[in-house]
Amino acid sequence: MTAPVVPDAAGAATPALRRTPLRWLVGVDRLAVAGAALLALIVLAALLAPWIAPHPEDGGSATHPLEALLPPSAEHWFGTDQVGRDVLSRVLYGARTSLLIAVAVLAISGGVGVVLGVVAGYAGGWVRDVIMRVTDVFLAFPALLLSLALAVVLQPSVTTVIVAIAVTWWPWYARLTASVAASVATRAFVDSARCLGVPAPLIVFRHVLPNSLTPVLVQLSLDGGGVILTAAALSYLGLGAHEPTSEWGLMVQQGQSLFTTNWWVVTFPGLAILITAFAFNVLGEGLRARLTR
Amino acid sequence: MRWHKRLLAAGAVAALTLTATACGGGKIRGGADGSEGSTQPGTSQNAQNPSSAADATFVYVPNLDVVTDWDPASSYSNEILAMQNIYESLTRYNPQTKQAEPRLATSWTSSDDGKKWTFTLRQGATFHTGKPVDAAAAKAAIERTMKMGAGAAYIWDAVKKIEAKDSSTLKFTLKYPTALDLVASAGYASYVYDTTAAGSGDLKTWFGEGHDAGSGPYTIDTWEKGKETELTLKAFDDYWGGWDGPRYKKIAYRVTPELTTAWQLLRGGEVTFVARLNPQLFAEAGGTPTVQAAQTPSFQNLLTLFNTHSGPLKDVRLRQALQKAIDYDGVVAVLKGAGAPAAGLVPEGLLGHNAGQTPRQDLAGAEALLKEAGYGPGGKKLELTLTYAQGDSDQEVLVTLLSSTLDKLNVKLSAKPLQWTTQWDQAKAKDPAKRQDILVMYWWPDYADAFSWFVNIFRSEDPISFNLSYLRDDAIDKRINELPQLTATDRDAAEKAYAELQNKIINERAAVAVPYVMNYQRAFAKSVQGYVDNPAYPNVVFVHDLKPGA
Repeated sequence: MTAPVVPDAAGAATPALRRTPLRWLVGVDRLAVAGAALLALIVLAALLAPWIAPHPEDGGSATHPLEALLPPSAEHWFGTDQVGRDVLSRVLYGARTSLLIAVAVLAISGGVGVVLGVVAGYAGGWVRDVIMRVTDVFLAFPALLLSLALAVVLQPSVTTVIVAIAVTWWPWYARLTASVAASVATRAFVDSARCLGVPAPLIVFRHVLPNSLTPVLVQLSLDGGGVILTAAALSYLGLGAHEPTSEWGLMVQQGQSLFTTNWWVVTFPGLAILITAFAFNVLGEGLRARLTR
Repeated sequence: MRWHKRLLAAGAVAALTLTATACGGGKIRGGADGSEGSTQPGTSQNAQNPSSAADATFVYVPNLDVVTDWDPASSYSNEILAMQNIYESLTRYNPQTKQAEPRLATSWTSSDDGKKWTFTLRQGATFHTGKPVDAAAAKAAIERTMKMGAGAAYIWDAVKKIEAKDSSTLKFTLKYPTALDLVASAGYASYVYDTTAAGSGDLKTWFGEGHDAGSGPYTIDTWEKGKETELTLKAFDDYWGGWDGPRYKKIAYRVTPELTTAWQLLRGGEVTFVARLNPQLFAEAGGTPTVQAAQTPSFQNLLTLFNTHSGPLKDVRLRQALQKAIDYDGVVAVLKGAGAPAAGLVPEGLLGHNAGQTPRQDLAGAEALLKEAGYGPGGKKLELTLTYAQGDSDQEVLVTLLSSTLDKLNVKLSAKPLQWTTQWDQAKAKDPAKRQDILVMYWWPDYADAFSWFVNIFRSEDPISFNLSYLRDDAIDKRINELPQLTATDRDAAEKAYAELQNKIINERAAVAVPYVMNYQRAFAKSVQGYVDNPAYPNVVFVHDLKPGA
């Protein structure tokens, strides 16, 4: 997991994204562009899974026990798993599950975290204290441990994974936003708005929030990989997605003991996790390098 | 207790946890310190040179902790691996002859009505405490086990009175006829031990400290709970069976949850015996020159118990639909020899096996039954919960196939892999709403007899212990209670009673489905001579019977 890096005060004040983000990135970091491209490819694969998977029914509930554990071949590029399903098809369908989880977790935890953070940062005083102490409580637990505990209590499912991870991730965004918002709140344009009699909620959401978002956006893109890894870990432990849903962590778990005899079952979903997490990280790093300079 | 033995594979998950929580730092033993290469002083050395026979060590690789209970009266778990090498019972079951054979008793007779049994004990056997094994000691041990009533002590339920006629004659008077020679061969609760071993102290506490009071060929040498090499046993020099010729003088139990690691240790010559691999690794073992692979039919089958008492499966049609939805042939095909098709509840080789009762997948039938109950494709969505053993890849295959099939029938199966204690606690929950709809577990008998499946699993219970289909049926209870007596007096009638009961439980009440019977797949060093799998003592290696060869 990547620990969020709180940018320094200068970083907090960087201008918002310009109109052509890709060209703007190229100037900065080729690797970041590669990450964005890779991610676009993965998203595309996920969206088009039903059309590009060689055996789309294997991504769902089909099983073929008599074709179990066939090695990679022209028919099955990534081989078949222990109940005879095409591993390539399941990896493609698994991208849907993983990206769905990543987007949902980031939307929920980012949304909750940013709102609470910006309120805390702007209001200061006891409001800030209360919100920050709550985040302290959550941050006191290792994120995966808390997610694990939650997932154990709830029935294992993709929804459970989303909830379990979102609950443990929002405090990071709350803290990050709060620290940035606090510095934004002291700046002249906020003072001016206040003097003009603009109501506090409007100041918070029209002036403070947009100017506090940059580091959070960086963090969100960096965390995409972390969410996918955590989700995979939960599924791997049997607490996340369950059969017959295609999920990379689940596939790795099921293929693990076959590694020395049927390497393909665990290798391809493992690579999928690696590549996706890598794409998110590289993109995030590139964004951070550009935005927090 | 019993749950541990049911979960030999569960330990595998410990390693999973470690790898998966690389950033979470799960502290579960087995993977981090159990990785390949960490040689155990004094054990690997001997295993690598088994021909230096003088004090060869037999290194057994279990995938779960060995000892949970050292008391021979209540021990009912994985420690059977060691207990059967430390303690002895009056008789031992021979799977070839299907009869009990002499162990501490050299001969026995029973009265015509099967209610009086006289055992003649072996001369010259001594306990590890130095005390001779005589009839009075055997009487005291069995009486203590009966009085404590823990673990598998129920096996002695038929016993009314035990008398030590003289030092070598032990006489049992029974309440009802029972094959007591078979009971005395049980894997649990049948041990003869020195009840005076602790002197004036508390015997249970004394056992708990890692002492033993058996008469078997080995005695406890070291026991370090939580260590990778959890337990070592050493030869008991005064063993009545003697130590002539090359023998293993030591046994080490090296806990290795990860199957792949266990296999690498065996292939590398660091260990002697691996009790369980997966089908793929087992096939690899078969093709490895330094290793022997042996497959034996077992008395262990997988049970899929349906909740007959609460939840949607209260409807017998849904239970029958589930029975029909299981891909029996598919599971057996995927297990590649590790599982054999089941017929009825009782595995082949035991009285009561019903060869005709082979289940088949019938999707059209399942769909029709679901529709009749208002579910199925186009109907209401049926949501079911299932619990199974964490880390058991064989059970996982069943769950994968079943949930895929059910998905097509508009049934959503939420399957949760759990550690046995958790799975069992949930199943026993006072509030029926908290219980699962389907529970998957292994079962095997405490002695070579089918009674255990019926008395423990399908006889009405309150509170719930192992009746995890929550079946309550007075007629079935009555038939079950008659079984021991029928078995001892009229085997044909017993056979018929077993067939009828299975028909009632499986077909009429649809309380259970039996996807397969396990085949034990062992892999062990080429140098081991004389190994025979005895399914009546699951996973036990009687090490004194073996010879360390070149």
